[in-house]
Amino acid sequence: MLKNYFKIAIAVLKRRKFFTFVSLFGISFTLTILMVTTAFMDKVLSPDYPDLKRERSLYVSSMEYKNTKEGWMNRSDVSFYFFSHYVSTLKNVDKMAISSNPKASNAYVNNKKIVIAYKYTNADYWNVLEYRFLAGKPFSQKEIDNADKVAVISEETRKAYFGDASNVIGRYISADNVNYRVIGVVANVSKTVNSLSGDMYLPYTVSTSDYNKPDLMGPYNAVLLAKSKADVPKMQKEFQQMMRRVPIPKDFDRVYSNADPFFSSMTRRIAGDGANNGKTRVVTIMSIFVLLFLLLPTINLVNINVTRIMERSSEIGVRKAFGASSKTLVYQFIVENMILTFLGGIIGIILSLLAIYLINGANVISNMRLSMNLTVLFYSFIACVFFGLISGVYPAWRMSKLNVVKALKTQ
Amino acid sequence: MMFRHLFKLIWNKRKQNFLFLSEILVSFMVIFAVFSFLTFYYQNYSKPLGFDYKKVWSISYDNGLLTKNRDSLNIFYDNLYKSLKAMPQIEEVTYTGANFPYSNSTMSTGLNSNGKKFNPVNSYVVGADYQKVWNIKLVAGRWFLPEDAVTKNKNFIINETLKKQMFGEGDAIGKLIGDYDDKEKMKIIGVVQDIKANGDFWPAGNAMFTRLDTGYFRNNSHILVKVRDGADATFESQLYKFMTNTMKNSVEIQHLSEMRDAKNEVTIIPMVIFIIIASFLIINVALGLFGVLWYNINKRRSEIGLRRAIGASGSSVSLQLVMEAMILATMSLMVGCFFAIQFPLLSVFNIPASVYIVAMLLSILFIYLLVFACSLYPGKQAAGIHPAIALHEE
Repeated sequence: MLKNYFKIAIAVLKRRKFFTFVSLFGISFTLTILMVTTAFMDKVLSPDYPDLKRERSLYVSSMEYKNTKEGWMNRSDVSFYFFSHYVSTLKNVDKMAISSNPKASNAYVNNKKIVIAYKYTNADYWNVLEYRFLAGKPFSQKEIDNADKVAVISEETRKAYFGDASNVIGRYISADNVNYRVIGVVANVSKTVNSLSGDMYLPYTVSTSDYNKPDLMGPYNAVLLAKSKADVPKMQKEFQQMMRRVPIPKDFDRVYSNADPFFSSMTRRIAGDGANNGKTRVVTIMSIFVLLFLLLPTINLVNINVTRIMERSSEIGVRKAFGASSKTLVYQFIVENMILTFLGGIIGIILSLLAIYLINGANVISNMRLSMNLTVLFYSFIACVFFGLISGVYPAWRMSKLNVVKALKTQ
Repeated sequence: MMFRHLFKLIWNKRKQNFLFLSEILVSFMVIFAVFSFLTFYYQNYSKPLGFDYKKVWSISYDNGLLTKNRDSLNIFYDNLYKSLKAMPQIEEVTYTGANFPYSNSTMSTGLNSNGKKFNPVNSYVVGADYQKVWNIKLVAGRWFLPEDAVTKNKNFIINETLKKQMFGEGDAIGKLIGDYDDKEKMKIIGVVQDIKANGDFWPAGNAMFTRLDTGYFRNNSHILVKVRDGADATFESQLYKFMTNTMKNSVEIQHLSEMRDAKNEVTIIPMVIFIIIASFLIINVALGLFGVLWYNINKRRSEIGLRRAIGASGSSVSLQLVMEAMILATMSLMVGCFFAIQFPLLSVFNIPASVYIVAMLLSILFIYLLVFACSLYPGKQAAGIHPAIALHEE
């Protein structure tokens, strides 16, 4: 049965080449855009180098004070003191990676300016996050305690600063006119892993600002790692309980900080605040946007499909006259439309690969490498099925309503 | 007469035409969105920039290790200003708040004038030579003078947009304006030309400039310098070394021309992606319309043949078909305009009504052109139908 439908579908596609072209153009283009967007979302949302343990991690990246009476609000990153004094006491936190926001500094090599974004980190940073060391090793607690001026640099910085020199371990790199001894080189981190990407990593003890100042706001953020995936909710609960003990600063009556799973930590930053993680809002807005985007190609496809069905009214009339039920016809037409959609999908995949190749080549976002993996293909498949169904149902319904006598008479 | 007849024809086939109508309606909305953006950006782009960024560098530094003593800090900044100014490659130097043009920082406040509140107003805290560094043009009044430090009412300067909003064509100089909660009065001493601080494609908005007084130095962490032609990377690295030695802390030097490019890119890149997607959607729709019209004409061969047989000319037949498509487009556009006109009426996003009106007119023109282009070839084909052949088929 399916084989027959397939044959009919191919025959119909061959008959009116112009319509086939228009349908395939619309489908493949729409799917290409969906696929490239999915590839981008996948890059941002699924575990990516060096942050590979997202399932076991919670992210703390903001501190918010509120005065509900006056409507004041103050929001910033978190202080080192908050992590070392409060968060480190939590029993469910196995390890904690603390790092400061990247700060830009300049270096001048051979009369060329290099911008170096550097971060201060603790020793566990290297245990929680899986940076790939191309040479050397990370700094340990010992270097932190001694406040040694040592640095781990990225591959990109190595190239920009030292040129083609093969071994840079033990050499010195100057930032803000301070010389740091290079002890490790790590592979570049994509800019999409915003809070972890940097050009140079330094022990927090060499920082010029007072990291032990008992403030809640500061320039740091942290990744909290639980022992197992099952411990994550416990860790989150413990964090919330701890927040109740944190003293509320003067002039305010609320203090918020949250340990969020990765996705909520992003949505909170985009659309939420201390009390609301913004997840529903972001998901709703994104879905509305995708649906609106799909609307035009869908209407177009429905329009063309209806036209094509009317063209085949004699065939349908004959089949109906010989006793085919409406259900069979609807089924046949939806299958035909699915075949068309999947053909479009295949072209779409080829176009997406091309688009991804171009985007990666142009380095639109620093060090971001998009890829077509199984997750992306799976979502693309779902998009194909969805698209095929919604653009096929209305024309099929119109077809099944066709009056046999009229259909046969007009030809 | 002809329109009524055509209208009847369309009405009889309203069911078939429903999809056609909705497709044009949705296309119109997409095009309206694109043209709204483009018109908005173009209107802002065509306004003058209002300042010179080309040879300006910004120096940002961490002020954490500087003395907290107010008097020593004053002396420190005084000396720093003199040392920078003494460098042969530097023409002008000024201290500034964090929200100088093209920086990603904003600071806004509200003002009260004659019981009316103006909010938000971009608030720039500026050093004495700020005007010289940027080459900002005064429209009326004067720039800050050293004696402004000791006046009874705080003196400040506003931009043209804010002046027009507050006083229309009237004079602004010497007027007293209430601050955010209307507790203190400040005196306007000058009006400057608008400066497009957020890049070429965004309006200047309301802006006010206040003098950076010595109390502000505690928070200050930005210096702007205007360099001379000879300033190259060698000089920049010397300047950098000098600054890090002075501050004993982190320092970053940026060129305003690069910051401007980065700022403009934030507008241009999403717009280019949007235009690419929209144009593919429109190509898609155009092909679809073309196909459907073409098919419809083939289906109406006998009707067209009959008209030709009783004496209608080829051109009148093709005119009929093009007109039919245009009337369909008009029906969709009427519905579309009903939605589109809500934007200027409700002044959505606080954008001037003229942007939406221009965008609407452009979109209407675009849709008519699109439908016309798509129906032209099918119409021509219909004109070529030979009555004898068409009627013979029946």
